[in-house]
Amino acid sequence: MNTIIKKYNLFVLVVFIVVLPVLLWSRVIISHRALYKEMISIMTILAFFQLLGQFYLNRSNKLVSYHKMGRVVTFHKIIGYLFIGILIFHPFLIVLPRYLEPGMSVTDAFISLITTFKTGVVLGIISWVLMILLVLISLLRNRLGMKYRTWRTVHGVLSVIFIVLATWHAINLGRHTDVFMSVFMIMVAGGGIALYLRKLIKDIKVGGENGKRNVTAPVFGDGRSRECAVASE
Amino acid sequence: MAIDQINGCIGCGICVQACPTDVIRIEEESGKAVIRYPEDCQICHLCRMNCPVDAITITPEKSIPVIVAWG
Repeated sequence: MNTIIKKYNLFVLVVFIVVLPVLLWSRVIISHRALYKEMISIMTILAFFQLLGQFYLNRSNKLVSYHKMGRVVTFHKIIGYLFIGILIFHPFLIVLPRYLEPGMSVTDAFISLITTFKTGVVLGIISWVLMILLVLISLLRNRLGMKYRTWRTVHGVLSVIFIVLATWHAINLGRHTDVFMSVFMIMVAGGGIALYLRKLIKDIKVGGENGKRNVTAPVFGDGRSRECAVASE
Repeated sequence: MAIDQINGCIGCGICVQACPTDVIRIEEESGKAVIRYPEDCQICHLCRMNCPVDAITITPEKSIPVIVAWG
């Protein structure tokens, strides 16, 4: 049974964060729209779903614990940096057609975009800033001087806030988010957040009990906790 | 009908100002642009060219060919 789960759990994850989003995008391909615009759209949708999938690629998901956690964390990091790298350019890619086609200049379009204070746009701007913050606290983890567990909690809570706002933004403004895509996004995001919150509550309870009993987590020779040692493998 | 659909509107309202025949209006509920009077569209493409996020698509088969002046 363990071998079957180990063999197929990542396959199921790929179906949920790659295959199904592509199928749902293909339902809403906008007619008469240039191919490069649709390619930018699918690239953005896939990048966003990879970030949603990050909630399933960590220790809060029991199913991935069949793999080596160090390996899972490595994948988590690679996927995170790669697809956040794509989504950082999302606001600029939106106004790219204005550079390639006649009409409003690209600078005017970008200024109009970021100065339209409507719900969807404001949510998008906040999400973008949170995304940059997530990258920074991940890149500068060792320089922040936080304990690993504290850093993990900050990273997790920020991720939850980011994903809630970003999903809301995508549902509000996404040109490919029809009812099916919206429901699917909410399901994937909701599932991931529920998994994370369950783990967080469990950690807080365990932390509290350890504090009461004055029990310290087992540490390695260099002073790192077991989780820290596994995460930095 | 020439103006086809509006997807991914941010509600800036530039298209409403740009349209010479008031085809597009901002819907109060959603705060986004909607095609209210499609039969009045003159296919001038001003809305599409002025949309910052390229949300407007116009059916290509109904587009008016560019008229070149003689002489």
